[in-house]
Amino acid sequence: MKIQKILLGDKMEKILQKKTLPDWVNKLKNYQIIAPVQNENHWDFQILSDPSRIKLDYKNTILSPKKFIFPQREVFFRFRSDEQSSYDLQENLPEEKPAVIFGVRPCDARALTLMDKVFGGDMQDPYYWKRRNATILIGLGCNHPPSENCFCTSVNGSPFSREGLDIMLTEMGDTYFVESISKKGEQLIRQAEALFKNPKEADKSEKKQLKSRAEKEISRKIPNIKNIPSKLETMFDSDFWNEESLSCIRCGICTYLCPTCHCFDINDEIKSNFPIEGERVRTWDNCQFPDFTMHSSGHNPRPDRAARLRQRILHKFQYFVKLYQTYQCTGCGRCVSQCPVGIDIIEILNKVDAR
Amino acid sequence: MKSNDYVPELARIIDIKEEVEGSRSIKTFRTNFVNPNGFSHRCGQCAMLSVFGKGEAMISISSTPLIKDYLQFSILKTGRVTTALHEMNPGDIIGIRGPYGNGFPIDDWKGKNLIFIGGGIGLAPIWSVLQTALGKKEEFGNLTLYYGSRTSADLVFKEELEKLKSEMTVHLSIDVEEPDWKGYVGFVPANVTEKSPSPENAISITCGPPIMIKFVIKALQDVGFDDRQIYTTVENKMKCGIGKCGRCNIGHHYVCKDGPVYSWAELKDLPQEY
Repeated sequence: MKIQKILLGDKMEKILQKKTLPDWVNKLKNYQIIAPVQNENHWDFQILSDPSRIKLDYKNTILSPKKFIFPQREVFFRFRSDEQSSYDLQENLPEEKPAVIFGVRPCDARALTLMDKVFGGDMQDPYYWKRRNATILIGLGCNHPPSENCFCTSVNGSPFSREGLDIMLTEMGDTYFVESISKKGEQLIRQAEALFKNPKEADKSEKKQLKSRAEKEISRKIPNIKNIPSKLETMFDSDFWNEESLSCIRCGICTYLCPTCHCFDINDEIKSNFPIEGERVRTWDNCQFPDFTMHSSGHNPRPDRAARLRQRILHKFQYFVKLYQTYQCTGCGRCVSQCPVGIDIIEILNKVDAR
Repeated sequence: MKSNDYVPELARIIDIKEEVEGSRSIKTFRTNFVNPNGFSHRCGQCAMLSVFGKGEAMISISSTPLIKDYLQFSILKTGRVTTALHEMNPGDIIGIRGPYGNGFPIDDWKGKNLIFIGGGIGLAPIWSVLQTALGKKEEFGNLTLYYGSRTSADLVFKEELEKLKSEMTVHLSIDVEEPDWKGYVGFVPANVTEKSPSPENAISITCGPPIMIKFVIKALQDVGFDDRQIYTTVENKMKCGIGKCGRCNIGHHYVCKDGPVYSWAELKDLPQEY
């Protein structure tokens, strides 16, 4: 398994009428179609049972589509004791149909490129890559910031970043401006070529204007982000972490919602004690929980809220930068918007800069 | 490399030896793979052991790579998986994946005097490098062991330690006085300070409870050891063993893959969070 290389095809630029989006989707019979679906008070990515009901008029989803590549719970293998008191182990690599995810926000697509670094490297994670390589990402550029806490432009992103995407859609009135980014994306457009028209020069210039306007509309910023990693290096023992984490109720929503957080747990779940039968399961885990790092002796290297908040910030803005030369954050703002006690990563980083 | 590192190989427990009894009991397990698979480790590396139905625990391999007949693990009964291991019998099947981690740079230590310093179960990670050095004695200088535990009953490898006395210098210690105890009484760092080993052409390898390691390092520095002459092994809670699950990190280092062996020169520059 090699790290997926984006095969660059001829860049295609097309116009698609919004009302013909379901027709395109209907042509993609070999894929599961995943798109945002409206629940009571939020949108969430789901596998569409009726792909013709696809709708992309949403702001952002409560969770990023990361769960389709790195699910919250997955079975690594099944074990069962046999008559010789040995075990039969059944590897359980993903077998899902290839998927196309529609309407991925650029920050969430970039987040997957960061996750690729973690699950790639010397030790490839076969479960991750099986799904990752079988998933096509169709982005939806952000004409307006979907959230008041968007800050992608501060962390090397943009409302129209293409990183990680195979196709980019830009909403323009009754149409989408459609651009292929990868070979996979190009092939997806070719499967329904008759639905697409060629753009006029006016369409192209409108798209450019949208982009620069969108960037200007982002109000939340970390102006001196470049200074942050080196400043953090000097702040490990600072009382700052104690002050900033006082209100934390260790609910873990910040990392649960984060499109780049990858920490996980591995546990056995048993169905029967005799014969011993069960599954080894990977689940998302959370660095904000006290037992995340607690040794079985009771010793805990990160014994309090301060140490755990520090880990979250330092992992994203110091350790990850050291390992991969990029921040482990794409500025989606979910952790800021959903924190029940108002812990605000943008504010924290700006305070670090001011120190 | 295996294509799926998360699925362990099956191994059979061939021998279990009770080292320490009581509430902090320690047993030494020897295992053989059910299907030979070319598993080979370096001194100081670890393996992830599975008790199916209970889960996994990262354990250092205490046998020397010079022995090909079995893998040995000395395990303190402390959590869910280690408790389940302590309830197992010879013939039972466990899972093993690995080996993980960097191991000791023993090839760089040829011709040097090696000073091993262990506390409690901390002798286990040192044991593989100590046995390797003993097995290739002509390649190294003087070998010395400092080893201590709370009481004489808590010492691991008691029989082996007796035999060891004829092959290398052994300084044993216990924390509190006992009748008939002929060794040192007091903590391991104090024993090191008293014997005051020479740093000349020496490497020290220490493992034990975090607090012991801290004071051993200080004791070694006090008698003139350079930070590059002091090696230790670190342990943190681990799940994946391959630097992905995100919990064993010390700064940007993942102990499972970048450790567990560090020179103090390396470790002192990382956040002190272990």
